[in-house]
Amino acid sequence: MGGPGSSSPCASCKLLRRRCAKDCIFAPYFPPDDPHKFAIVHKVFGASNVSKMLQELPVHQRADAVNSLVFEANARVRDPVYGCVGAISYLQNQVSQLQMQLAVAQAEILCIQMQHEQPLQSHHQVLELDQEDKALLLNSNNINNCNNDNNNLGYAMSSGQFNSNFASPSSIMQMQMQMQMQDPLKQESLWT
Amino acid sequence: MASSYSNYTNSPCAACKFLRRRCTSDCVFAPYFPPEEPTKFANVHRIFGASNVSKILHEVAPHQREDTVNSLAYEAEARLKDPVYGCVGAISVLQRQVLKLQRELEETNADIMRYASSLGSETTSTYGRHRS
Repeated sequence: MGGPGSSSPCASCKLLRRRCAKDCIFAPYFPPDDPHKFAIVHKVFGASNVSKMLQELPVHQRADAVNSLVFEANARVRDPVYGCVGAISYLQNQVSQLQMQLAVAQAEILCIQMQHEQPLQSHHQVLELDQEDKALLLNSNNINNCNNDNNNLGYAMSSGQFNSNFASPSSIMQMQMQMQMQDPLKQESLWT
Repeated sequence: MASSYSNYTNSPCAACKFLRRRCTSDCVFAPYFPPEEPTKFANVHRIFGASNVSKILHEVAPHQREDTVNSLAYEAEARLKDPVYGCVGAISVLQRQVLKLQRELEETNADIMRYASSLGSETTSTYGRHRS
């Protein structure tokens, strides 16, 4: 760090009270004007672990890695029990609810179409439905009751077709730990 | 004394095995890192560090520690599989999925409204013809 034009040490070296070398691995990502960013990452992960993680990555990926670590660290400080797993659980619930609402809405359209087409045409219409719509029809035993409460169809389609993602984050974590990490979209395969 | 002796004769928890230390009767890790799951602690230690995990566990209530450990293990595994994004990658994918589903739902509801309004106009015109 010497020299007449030496710049301020990075946030990491300030917190760790050490000399900020020219090749300090933290310096590009933890500027001195944002001390909180490093403080929170250090609190959750530890400077030594962060340094090892960054060293294992190519330089062009380190900024993204730091940002995701900061995100996780913030989430963990806000929620020491679940951290950002709580956010995953919440989003999975949201996806499930939206999928159910969409299924009900799509079934409603089918009902309306079938009610107001000519009988011959409506049969033809059914044959032209794509695989997803056919699956809906096959799984719903209440086609003739679609004048009734739409919840019947919604229930018929939802029973056995969705993971119970309204469970607590702990049970979701158990499910997720068995799933592929890179494929959180796997739940969509429920439709096939 | 007797309890710590009995722990010493029992298998140490995965944490103490990894850290090569005596597993005492009040070991904070023991209930959550059984010796038959060595990878769980190894992953958590590699990402968070034993000392940080211990601090986090001491900060939360005892009845919440199991969930805490499981979420830490989940995050650690995610980070090891994806060293750049960790489980933030999954959050990003889910957020995009939510937006996509919300758009589809809006479009489908708009279609329903269109059908409902065309149904209303058909009914009116039919009734009008009957009356005339």
